[in-house]
Amino acid sequence: MATNIPQNLKYTKEHEWALVEGDTVTIGITDFAQSALGDIVFLEVPDVGSELKAGATFGVVESIKSVSDLYSPVTGEVVTKNSDVEGSPEKINSDAYGAWLIKVKVKDQNELKNLLTADQYQEFCNTSH
Amino acid sequence: MTLFRTHLYEEHVKLGAKLVPFAGWEMPVQYTSVKDEALAVRNDVGVFDVSHMGEFFVEGKDAEKFVDHLVTNDILGAPVGKAVYSPLCRENGTVIDDLIVYKLASGRVLICVNASNIDKDFQWMKSKHQGFDCSFTNKSNEYSLLALQGPRAFSVLKPLLKDLSDIEYYSVVESAYENHKVILARTGYTGEDGFEIFASHDCIKALWQKMMTLKVTPCGLASRDVLRLEVCYPLYGHELNDEVNPFDAGLSWTVKLSKTNFIGKAALAPKPTRFKLVKLTLDKGIPREGYPVLNSKNETVGIVTSGTMSVVLNKGVALARIDIDKVPQDEVFLVDIRQKPYAAQLVKKPFVTGGHK
Repeated sequence: MATNIPQNLKYTKEHEWALVEGDTVTIGITDFAQSALGDIVFLEVPDVGSELKAGATFGVVESIKSVSDLYSPVTGEVVTKNSDVEGSPEKINSDAYGAWLIKVKVKDQNELKNLLTADQYQEFCNTSH
Repeated sequence: MTLFRTHLYEEHVKLGAKLVPFAGWEMPVQYTSVKDEALAVRNDVGVFDVSHMGEFFVEGKDAEKFVDHLVTNDILGAPVGKAVYSPLCRENGTVIDDLIVYKLASGRVLICVNASNIDKDFQWMKSKHQGFDCSFTNKSNEYSLLALQGPRAFSVLKPLLKDLSDIEYYSVVESAYENHKVILARTGYTGEDGFEIFASHDCIKALWQKMMTLKVTPCGLASRDVLRLEVCYPLYGHELNDEVNPFDAGLSWTVKLSKTNFIGKAALAPKPTRFKLVKLTLDKGIPREGYPVLNSKNETVGIVTSGTMSVVLNKGVALARIDIDKVPQDEVFLVDIRQKPYAAQLVKKPFVTGGHK
């Protein structure tokens, strides 16, 4: 599958992307994920102030036919959520990297090393489905 | 296990379909978008490859009598040329399958059954065949099946099929496409006007290719499931299964207790009902199969048997099986979605009114 994987982002094996800017990380789901899910119709993300744990589920994204958990790339506190995308989750289908979900204030910068680079994620997508 | 492929497999691959295992078959679940495909059927026309479904033929003097004995709905009383939807039940009234009986001619009946139940149904029917003067054959491997569904279905098909008169909804005729014989029924699983076309593999492939040139939208099983759920048609394995009887699934209209006899009549005569199948809509949250259904006190009263996001209503819709003695008097229902209760509205009519005639 041809898919868009920006070089400036980090990735998880559960198909979330993370944009690291200082101690704030913006989180979304990848183009590969939105394409696999199909028409996204529902999004559930935590409120501002919620504590996330790296590798743990933090929300849900639903297409017409399926429910998928969202996994946090980092540990930290939610500082902003994108209510625009929460209200119109189909925006993820049209622009997976523009339609971010939440911003998290990271607790432990060391965790970021565990995330995949664009090349590693590309490799991961090629070898798994 | 090796998956079966329909004779349209290459066509699906060419169209870029996402193929998934379903009832032992590798079937197209979607081509482009579930939403676009479902809306094409509601507003224009779409075609489904449903060749995985089973076709049994019953031929001979007692054909109608045999089938009437097998199923709960009235086959003997229906005129030749009619299609009849019916459950197939055991002696104890539980549902083996739901199917459509097509009365092709006097002494010639086609039964179309669910793909996942072909062997189970055939074995069962075969075991009841003795004493009836008719043949009973499984021709599932000889037939492919297309469902052309949507308001434009008739105008697409009219120039293609020989002598296509304006056959009524739930009727069947034997027709032809080019030099191929086809069985053409005005039936479907979407609530829209449309046709189901049974024919040889070559004929169905030619018809499919022709339809692709006529801007018919190829539709996968995912959109088919959304469409049937919007009009509240039951699906075997969800609303119907080996444990429930037709009354439990709201299908009392298909049980004709006035018939002299049929398998399951004695058990079904007192109308034993353990469950009530209800229709729910949710303004927030999407109900899914298996989610618990709660009353106003947050007590579990039932379970969602099918749930999805309706593409027409743009909200969650569900069919749910409620324990008959727990149906709340106040008609307040909630659906437990990931341990959170979401308010549901009980509706009496199907979520969407299809346009079938």
